[in-house]
Amino acid sequence: MDTPSPSTAPPPAVTVENLTKVFKSGFTKKPLLAVRQLSFTVGAGEVYGLIGPNGCGKSTTMKVMLGLLKATQGRATIFGRDSEEVASRQDVGFLPENPYFYKHLSGRETLNFYGKLCGLRGSELKGRTEAMLELTGLTHAAERRIGGYSKGMLQRVGLAQALIHEPRLLILDEPTAGVDPVGSRRIRDLILELKERGITIVVTSHLLEQMQEVCDRVGIMSNGRMVSEGKLEDLISVENQTELILQDASPELLARIHALVQESGGKSQLISEGKPRTTLEKLFLQSTTQTGDGE
Amino acid sequence: MANDFAPQSLMSSAPSRSAYSSFSPGRIWTMATHTVTQLIRMRILVFMGIISMVIVIAAFAFPAVSPEQQLKLLKDWTFGALKIFFIIIAIAATGLLLPRDLEDRTLYTTLSKPVPRYEYLIGKLLGVMLLLGGGLLLMDLVFSLMLYLKQSLIISSQIAALEKEQAATPENIAFIKDLNSRFGLTYSLHSAVWAIFLQASVVAAVSLLISCFASSTLFTILVGIAFVIAGHGQSLLREWFLDKMSGFWQKSLSGAIAVFCPDLTLFDLAEPAIRGEVIPLGVLTEVSGIALLYIVGYTSVAYLFFVEKEL
Repeated sequence: MDTPSPSTAPPPAVTVENLTKVFKSGFTKKPLLAVRQLSFTVGAGEVYGLIGPNGCGKSTTMKVMLGLLKATQGRATIFGRDSEEVASRQDVGFLPENPYFYKHLSGRETLNFYGKLCGLRGSELKGRTEAMLELTGLTHAAERRIGGYSKGMLQRVGLAQALIHEPRLLILDEPTAGVDPVGSRRIRDLILELKERGITIVVTSHLLEQMQEVCDRVGIMSNGRMVSEGKLEDLISVENQTELILQDASPELLARIHALVQESGGKSQLISEGKPRTTLEKLFLQSTTQTGDGE
Repeated sequence: MANDFAPQSLMSSAPSRSAYSSFSPGRIWTMATHTVTQLIRMRILVFMGIISMVIVIAAFAFPAVSPEQQLKLLKDWTFGALKIFFIIIAIAATGLLLPRDLEDRTLYTTLSKPVPRYEYLIGKLLGVMLLLGGGLLLMDLVFSLMLYLKQSLIISSQIAALEKEQAATPENIAFIKDLNSRFGLTYSLHSAVWAIFLQASVVAAVSLLISCFASSTLFTILVGIAFVIAGHGQSLLREWFLDKMSGFWQKSLSGAIAVFCPDLTLFDLAEPAIRGEVIPLGVLTEVSGIALLYIVGYTSVAYLFFVEKEL
């Protein structure tokens, strides 16, 4: 495989290196270790799913990536820049979990406000605002105050503000929370569309079936640690089984294969003729013992 | 969703925005104008309506007292109302901004954009100051108009009385005009309104600093009010206690108190203006400079707290 030299290789979209985050509490309480020695990399153009139970440190990790929190140890970079540098956020769009916006602004004013903060002005700002309203299906509600929006509409305006400045990296914290199944499906389609356009996406969700559909790689967190990470295909394949996919196999051929397996002796046995594959949900449950009940 | 996603609108062909700059007046202005909109839509203008009512009532009340007293009472009431209401606006408006952004989690969305925290703070403070400045300018116009009308009415009625008594000599008329002008509309009154703006801006900067480490809006407002009371009492405190100390200790302690809590009586220029005294430009420049120092100082300290704040 050709590997570009370090000097010319583009930096990964996200690197998290040995990240540890401890929240100091009051004098009487013990400090809370939210994330411990976490490391992962997200390549440019990848869709990376960060999954784990409530309180496992996903949101804390995202906040460190966005410079909202400082790492106690370790660091995070965005396209080679330290995430504590404000300039690194130029390339990032963020949709927080349960997004809240200024209730006194209308949908259009909200997008204008965030667009201006990202340096958009004049016709470009107007064009992007209208495009994002159209993209998220909010054109009809553009003049309504955000205070009157439903949860699903808030999620959509959150997505619109995250995309307003054409970021190279999109960080989505539970993007489908509170969205109806149709809207949820459309968000999934949008993620795939963005991926096709080369945008890197880091996403968290409890809807593991959807994660399985969109993610190239996933990291499973539990108790602040990364307990499993890798390509989705690698993670969900069963190690001690072999999938043999035959096309137009005759019954005679299948019978011979059955016979060969029986003749070979040892531990080999034919378990099934389907597709032996676990699901991401099963993998997730196997990987973690932590529950979100304590939150 | 009502409409289908339109993928072609995801990315424009040629983004034309400028490269990131670590200090952007444009971003600060965006934050400031947004803050003004936020405060106006929180119906803060109701306060200004109340002040206008006070001015109008004061203009037509007390017909029994002497003309000079009528003008003085109009000015007393107006400056009292302006000072109280604009200090309340400064504390409440500033106290509502940062803690509410944190409570509502709107701060996450704003600071996840390329906005340095100092720009966020400067923008918020500038927004409050724009609202205070705009409101005081409006109130100054209403006040000046009412005072001018009252003054003209008094002069007309006094000239009419002189004419009735057949004593309307040019000297008497000039004396009446001169006397009423001294107690009526003067430039010093505008200077006193400017001093109220400076005082309210300093209070807003103090409130911003408090809100950077406060846990709630209520705490910010209560501590802000305590600072205003202490700020008005500290000159008395220094007079009573520090006069007994030696020069060096007196100066050091006095300086420390003044840095920690602004001496808000420095900005009380209303009394001489009401008495009809001229406020020299030098005094105005000096109090403007002191206010600027306090605002810059408190905002800088606020940034030191805010930059370390875990969101």
